[in-house]
Amino acid sequence: MGSPAIGKVRIEEIIGEDPALVRLIYKYLVWATVWLIFATALGLLLSLKLSYPDLLDFSFTSYGRVRPIHTNALFWGWTSMAMVALCLFVVPRTSRTQLHSLTLARVALWMWNVAVAAGTVALAMGINNGDQEYREYVWPIMAIFAAGMLVHLYNFLCTVREREIEEIYISNWYIIAALIWTTTLVTVGYLPWYQHGLAQANIQGYYMHQGVGMWFTPVVLGLTYYFLPKFLNRPIYSYSLGVLAFWTQLVFYTLIGAHHFIFSAIPWWIQTIAIVFSVGMMVPVWAGTGNFILTMRGKWRTIGRSYSLPFILAGAVCYGLVSTQGTFESFRWTNLYWHFTNFTIGHSHFTMYGFVAFLIWGGVYGLLPRLTGREPSIVAVGVHFWFSMIGMGIYVVALSIGGTIQGTDWVRLRPFIDSVTDMAPYWLWRSVGGTLMFLSHVIFAYNLYKMRPRALGEAVPEVARA
Amino acid sequence: MNFHVNPRLLFGTAFGVFVILTLMIAVLPAIQIQQTPATPGLEPLSERAARGRDIYVREGCSYCHSQQVRPLPQDELFGRPSAPGDYVYETPQLLGTARTGPDLSNIGNRQPSDIWHLIHLYNPRALVQGSVMPAYWWYFRKKDRADADDVVVPVPGSSAPKGKVVVATPEALALVEYLHSLKQPPLEVPASGEEQGEASKQ
Repeated sequence: MGSPAIGKVRIEEIIGEDPALVRLIYKYLVWATVWLIFATALGLLLSLKLSYPDLLDFSFTSYGRVRPIHTNALFWGWTSMAMVALCLFVVPRTSRTQLHSLTLARVALWMWNVAVAAGTVALAMGINNGDQEYREYVWPIMAIFAAGMLVHLYNFLCTVREREIEEIYISNWYIIAALIWTTTLVTVGYLPWYQHGLAQANIQGYYMHQGVGMWFTPVVLGLTYYFLPKFLNRPIYSYSLGVLAFWTQLVFYTLIGAHHFIFSAIPWWIQTIAIVFSVGMMVPVWAGTGNFILTMRGKWRTIGRSYSLPFILAGAVCYGLVSTQGTFESFRWTNLYWHFTNFTIGHSHFTMYGFVAFLIWGGVYGLLPRLTGREPSIVAVGVHFWFSMIGMGIYVVALSIGGTIQGTDWVRLRPFIDSVTDMAPYWLWRSVGGTLMFLSHVIFAYNLYKMRPRALGEAVPEVARA
Repeated sequence: MNFHVNPRLLFGTAFGVFVILTLMIAVLPAIQIQQTPATPGLEPLSERAARGRDIYVREGCSYCHSQQVRPLPQDELFGRPSAPGDYVYETPQLLGTARTGPDLSNIGNRQPSDIWHLIHLYNPRALVQGSVMPAYWWYFRKKDRADADDVVVPVPGSSAPKGKVVVATPEALALVEYLHSLKQPPLEVPASGEEQGEASKQ
């Protein structure tokens, strides 16, 4: 078929990979997409509830119960599974060896599915670990998830130890370190002894922030350090910048969780440290973004003609923008206006979607056809890209404007209810953006089906050139 | 000593640095914070209020309602700035990160009416036009007529079910008792704009 107007090129290589691994990667992606569609449908419901509060007003579909179901299923279901799907290829490939154990990876997928399914049911029933963002699953459920993470950690460490190349490629620094940091983080977040009263809020700042920044950020960055040079067929601009970003990410990011509790009763010095190192975060962020953009320099035509690279370009740009936005949000003077408002919700979606999900999609569209020999419709990929992009744009802009109005209402000492009614049009716009985002996920699911692996014994054809 | 070829060194360092920073910024300060004594006049929750608090947690109230008053002019209507000692009996913590609804640190003083809370929980829009809070109707029963020991909720106007009375369940009453318990005891040097609570009962 092809689409001459867009002028996208088809893949020109097939990677001869173990069919069992390809099928496992695909299985991870399918489950990830199941959680994506489930959780973003709930996201849309939540959004609509702010315009129509009595919509679907059962206890188990009420706002306060569905919100953590939405966030956790996207964190531990969609994003974690999709990232690891790609890691299952990248870690062995950059180590020039086979994955240490397919069986372990299979087991871990089921541990994660069980954890997210059980967590979802428990939250719908009102069983939670406190309303503490991203650690709402009760500990026995989160323990299953963490055990799955340990299985991956062990599997990837063994793979790297069995590498047939002297150096440990930078992707594996990020991916394996992220698993180490996040299992530590979950342990610290769930041990009870130092979590009474306000002390728990201090742990909450540390936990909620790094649930994002020491898990999703390093893993997708690590993946991009492989996919971007691979798809562009040129080396990364600067390997050393990647190393610099790695260490500065570790030192700076760990210290900034308390910027979610500016002006609270948490000790002032912890808040100040959080603000100072939030500024420091500009070093790893722009080292990473700059490195990616400079790797792309002069290759804009290749990117324009690819259907996977535009996702990676968008993800890299969003990474720089959203992190800079995050630094600005941490200041005390910006907290006067933006803290507690919907501006923060816009920021978090900009991160998990514009940055993390786009980099994942870039990897999936680039890798999967090379593994299965089956390509999606280029038009359908284009529709996915633009629905996601425009949907997210509407979402983030609406909540950024609305959030600023909310904060300004409070500063101007208007009656509180004004800050609610003033949000009405922006919440409606957010639902419009959210609808586009949700539709793009349905299209992604269809594209994923089109890229499915061949049945055993089915021959892989020669790649047809466009 | 080469990070690029030695996984033990590379990942050992990444782990070690993370653990040290975690202790410095999260765990050790937390241990110190939880030794803060309770604010004078702060009372532990009654058994029923504690049950109400569990419902507050179960329903995810703190996704929209914070319990932290900042030392800022726009927060003065919510009470005095929160102090570390205010949270001594508060586990899990409910500080919250959003104010889609108002802060509740001092709601027990700001809105002392049982009936108001019960009607508002049954249907927020019966009392506050433009509210987007969920209606927690499942903590209420609709009956043909109330029994002697029932707490009847006088739902006004069109929000009231026709020909029935709305009765609060023990859970609704527990939740309201918890909301009543949210009273900031005055600090020794009261912040401006603060209302005197009934702090020293004993």
